[in-house]
Parts: sequence; C-alpha cells; structure tokens
Amino acid sequence: MDFSWSDQQRELLDAVSRFGREQLTYEVIENDRNAVFNHDAWKKCGEFGIQGLLVPTEYGGLGQDPLTTVAALERLGYACKDNGLLFSINAHMWTAVIPLVFNGTEAQKRKFLPGLCDGTLIGGNAMSEPNSGSDAFALATTATRAGDKYILNGSKIFCTNGPIADMLVVFANVDKSRGQDGITAFLVEKGAPGFDPSHKIEKMGVRTSPMAEVFFENCEVPAENLLGKEGGGAFLFTRSMTWERGCILASAVGSMQRLLEKCIRYANERKQGGQSIGKYQLVASKIVDMKLRVESARHILYHYGWVAGHRKAVYLEAAMTKLHLADAWVKCAEDAIQIHGGYGYMTEYEVERELRDAIGAKLYSGTSEIQRNIIASLIGL
Amino acid sequence: MTQPVEKILVAFKSVPDPYEAAAPGDSGSTAKSVINPFDEIAIEEALRIRERGETSEIVGVTIGPSSIDEQVRAAMAMGVDRAIRIDDARLLDPYAVARILRGVIEKEAPQLVLMGKQAVDDDSNQVGQMLAGLLGWPQATFVSKIELLDNRTRARCTRETDAGLEVIDVNLPAIITADLRLNEPRYVSLPGLIKARKKPIDVQTCQQLGVIVEPLTRLSSTARPARRSAGTRVESVAELVIKLKEEAKVL
Ligand SMILES: Cc1cc2nc3c(=O)[nH]c(=O)nc-3n(C[C@H](O)[C@H](O)[C@H](O)COP(=O)(O)OP(=O)(O)OC[C@H]3O[C@@H](n4cnc5c(N)ncnc54)[C@H](O)[C@@H]3O)c2cc1C
Repeated sequence: MDFSWSDQQRELLDAVSRFGREQLTYEVIENDRNAVFNHDAWKKCGEFGIQGLLVPTEYGGLGQDPLTTVAALERLGYACKDNGLLFSINAHMWTAVIPLVFNGTEAQKRKFLPGLCDGTLIGGNAMSEPNSGSDAFALATTATRAGDKYILNGSKIFCTNGPIADMLVVFANVDKSRGQDGITAFLVEKGAPGFDPSHKIEKMGVRTSPMAEVFFENCEVPAENLLGKEGGGAFLFTRSMTWERGCILASAVGSMQRLLEKCIRYANERKQGGQSIGKYQLVASKIVDMKLRVESARHILYHYGWVAGHRKAVYLEAAMTKLHLADAWVKCAEDAIQIHGGYGYMTEYEVERELRDAIGAKLYSGTSEIQRNIIASLIGL
Repeated sequence: MTQPVEKILVAFKSVPDPYEAAAPGDSGSTAKSVINPFDEIAIEEALRIRERGETSEIVGVTIGPSSIDEQVRAAMAMGVDRAIRIDDARLLDPYAVARILRGVIEKEAPQLVLMGKQAVDDDSNQVGQMLAGLLGWPQATFVSKIELLDNRTRARCTRETDAGLEVIDVNLPAIITADLRLNEPRYVSLPGLIKARKKPIDVQTCQQLGVIVEPLTRLSSTARPARRSAGTRVESVAELVIKLKEEAKVL
C-alpha cells in the first residue's frame, strides 16, 4: 500500500484545493435556511472536472483512480462549507455516473456521460420507497414492457437531486414473481410522460441539496433506456452502493479537518477563568480525540481508495469506511459544538449546521446498522 | 513600424504561494509555488484577446530551473498555446530578466508583450519598463483595461495612477503591464491541467539565445522584520485622544 502522491497527483490535488478556495467559499447560511441549491457552483465544479474525476477520458472524464478521486473530494470538502452541494455531487457521481460507466451501452454512455461530467446534466437515483428502505429489494414499483417502451408505476421517496435532475436511475420490478431477480434499472429522463419529481421534501441537514418524492404514473420509458439487463438491477445497485459507501464521505473528511482547525483556533482564542479554554485538559482532550478521529477517518478512506484501485471485491472496505466516517463526522461536529459553547449552537457560528449535515451520513447509502450487518456477515458472523 | 497583433508573448514568474506564506528564513524548499498573481492576470488578458479573435497565438515565457515546470504547465492549462522556459537557476535582478526577455522577443517577434506590473515576491516593478527601454518600444504600465484599435495596430490602455484613470494609446509592438483590476483570471481546470501534461515545454538556455547576463545586484541577506510590540489599552476615548496627541503626536 502506498499513499505517497506522485507529482501528477499532487499537482491535481493542489489544483482542487485552489479551485475550492477561490471558487467555492460562498456564504451558506441563507441558502441552508431557505434550502437553496447553488446551480452556479455545480456548473463550476463540472467545468473544473470534479463530476468526471473517475469517468474514462473518452466519455469526457478525467480517468483518475479511486484513491486520487477520494483525495480530491476530501480537498473539496475542506475548502467548501456547502455540504449540501457536495452531497448532491456525490449522489450524482455514485448513483448515476458509476452505473452508466459500468453498465451503460455505448450509446447511453455517449448520450449522458459528457454532460454528466461537465456540469450541464444532473443525475441521481430513485431506489427507496415508502415501504422499502433498508430492505431496498422489496421495492413495489413495477415496469411492464409494451412494444418499444416500458411502463413504470409506483412511487419513490428520499430522491436526492430529484427536483433538479435531468435523469434518474430508477429501480423497478419487471416480474414480482421473480422477487429480487426481477429488479431492473432504467434511465428516466426529465419530462418523460407520467414522471413527476416535483414534490420537494424538507429535511434537517444538507438542506442545500434538493430532495423529492417521485411519482411514476404510467410513466413511459423508451426501451433503449433500459440500463443493464432485465433483472440485473439488484447487482447494478449493489455495485453502485459499494462505490457510494466507499467514497461518499470523502468530502466529510475535509469537513472534519475544517472543524478541527476551527476548534483549535477557538480554543486558543476563547478565554475563561483567566486562560484559553484549550488549556483545560477536558477541552484539550476532546480536541485530541477529534484529531485522532480525523486521521483515522482519512486513513480508512485512503485505504479504501487504494484497495478499490487494486482489486475487485471491496464490499468489506466500503462498508467499514462508510460506518467509520459517518460516526467520526457526527462525533466531530457534536464535539465542535461543545467546544464552542453556546456560540456553537447558534446558526451564525456555522458549527450547528455541520452537525445537522453530518447526521444524515448514518442513514443514506445504508444505515449504520446495515453497514454493521454487512461487516458482520463478511467476517464470518 | 506598426504591425497588427498576431502573436502575444506573456512573461510570467514562479513565486512562493502567497496563501502559504513562508516567513523569511524558513527554508523555501517545501513552500508551494504559483504563477505570480499579476502575471496570471496578464495571461488571462491574452486569453481574452485571443477569444475575441484579436490574436492567433499566445506564447508564455518564464525563467527558472525545472522545478518551476508546474507553473509552466499551469500557464498552458490556462490556455497559453506554447511555453518557453529559459533554464537558469540563478537569482536574477530585473535588468538581467529584461535582457533575457529581450532575447526571447527578438527571436519570437510578438506584436504585444504582456506581464504583471510586478512580482509579489520581490516587488521590483521594473522588468516591463526596462524591457521597453531596451527594445525602444512604447510601454503602458499599471494597466486596468486594454482595447485594440486601428485593425489591432494600436492599444488603448487605461492606467491606474495617483491622479486617477489615465487613458493612453500606444502603437504596437508595445509592452503592457497588468494591474490588479485588469481582469479576474480563470482557474485552471483539471481537464486543462491533464491536457497540458501532454504539451511539451520548450526549454532553452541563455547561451542558445545568445544572451550573456550577469546580475548587477546581489542579494546579501533577508531577515524577518522586527516584531511589532504589543499595543496598550486605553480606558476612554478622552485618554485615546490625549495619547494620540502627546505620545503618538499624530493629531
Ligand atoms: C439525506 C438522505 C438522502 C437520501 N438519498 C436517497 C436517494 O438519492 N435515493 C434513494 O433511493 N434513497 C435515498 N435515501 C434513503 C436512504 O437510503 C434510506 O433512508 C435508508 O436506506 C434507510 O431506509 P428507511 O429510511 O426506510 O429506514 P428503515 O429501513 O425503515 O430503517 C429504520 C431503522 O431500522 C433499522 N433497520 C432496518 N432494517 C434493519 C436490519 N435488517 N437490521 C438492523 N436494523 C435495521 C435501520 O437501521 C433504522 O435505524 C436518502 C436518505 C437520506 C437521509
């Protein structure tokens, strides 16, 4: 295992840091309050090359390896306080771009990938339903073949990017009697007849990332928008989830680093009882734990990135990365509030938002309980 | 003799990253380098001129050892068509730099030369002026706006001076140095960066250019400025006024 950067990696990562520092340091408080998505920042990230980091160059991407990709996203998370924007970018990369890269036909790749890379198209996926969350494969949405089309019926919930997406990877069952083997993925494009992604959902954190409940009422999808094979949806979903688990919290490591530095500054500046609060062992030890958490989070992330670039089966590493990073991020944000005292609880100080943004990490891409189940089964329990 | 712009030469320097400020005396080797911010503005202006269809080629030129190739690639990633690095690791003074640049200009024959008004590391603010003198070309320094006129044979430049915004016309070829408000440089995109890795850097030596330069000045030392002593607290506005009058003698 080797995490030392080559000159080319370092040059790329420095460029990401600089891009983030110069282009993505806008104010987030109002956007968070009003749940506003920053389209302009999305476009800039696309033009800069973020969304296409992992995509092969022939489809408009940069063809980078997983380790470089997660490290780049970490740099972005450090520079940009808009965790919602980064969450939207992640959802797009892992649930729309990755399935296309691995399962798209040549025509589908040519049609969607360049736009998904350069920021002109926004993607996402729709798996979760009102009655199937952790048990995702129990989904009820159906797809029926009718000539050169499929007809979709059902509804999806918690669809990140739903209200702004140009295309979604939608999972439906073509034959309920086959159970999980009937699950099939479709590329549903904005404006498809019978497709309604307009019902926005309000949420606690990552509020700048739009989310929708999505309805399919005799929704017509052309047969050429079948993604992968009929019945191949469960495998396709698992592959996309594995990438997502490994990578989706890379930017959170940057966010944790930012919180750590903020806490160190505050603990040195804030004086109580005639000394900096950082001189109190109880405060210092919280910050030391935070430092340990950030470093271990970074290591497990890079380890995942390295392994993902060197072998195929990474289920265990991906689940461990997701579980560890989600816990570390939430704990970091919680401790950061404690260190900032009452100020940390106030919107203006931009610490409480980090906690709200972090908590969702224990839910999406499989809850922490589900990650534990996966790890347990993979280590022989 | 005036000539319409066909080729722009932009000179740029690699400087320590002002965001990662290293204090004098710190070993400079680990500090990151970037293109001098004013030179970046000059590069951006050249790109905009090309995007308006007012030049066909932009050549970047810098002087330094191979360790600055990252900045050369950054210039190409921004959009400079080709880049020349004059391989010289010496600490050069502005006159030496101007003479080397003259050598490059005589070879490349651009109609317009752009560069930053100064480098943020040594703040000399002399290269553009000296170069214009050496070449006998007109110059416009501290420029915040450039318009090419008369079929691109003349540049109307707005200069930021103490007296206000001064507008001057220079016949081309000319030297123009960029001020902060000329434009806001674009960022280097990752696709641009990766493409730039494939473009070759044209490495030349002073010898090849036929320029023999010895710096006229020598750096004898750099030191950290004396630390500012701590201020004092005053209890009231009245006390502040008294201290400003009697101790600081500024009122
Ligand atoms: C911010 C955010 C964004 C999201 N974006 C998307 C998206 O873009 N697309 C999409 O399809 N979905 C999305 N989701 C949905 C997400 O994937 C689900 O919320 C998640 O899978 C959990 O499902 P559920 O909410 O139905 O909870 P449930 O599955 O009902 O779980 C409730 C509780 O029971 C526990 N539990 C359930 N089953 C087990 C088990 N077998 N063993 C132990 N404990 C169990 C869970 O861990 C949890 O604590 C998003 C969710 C969030 C919060």
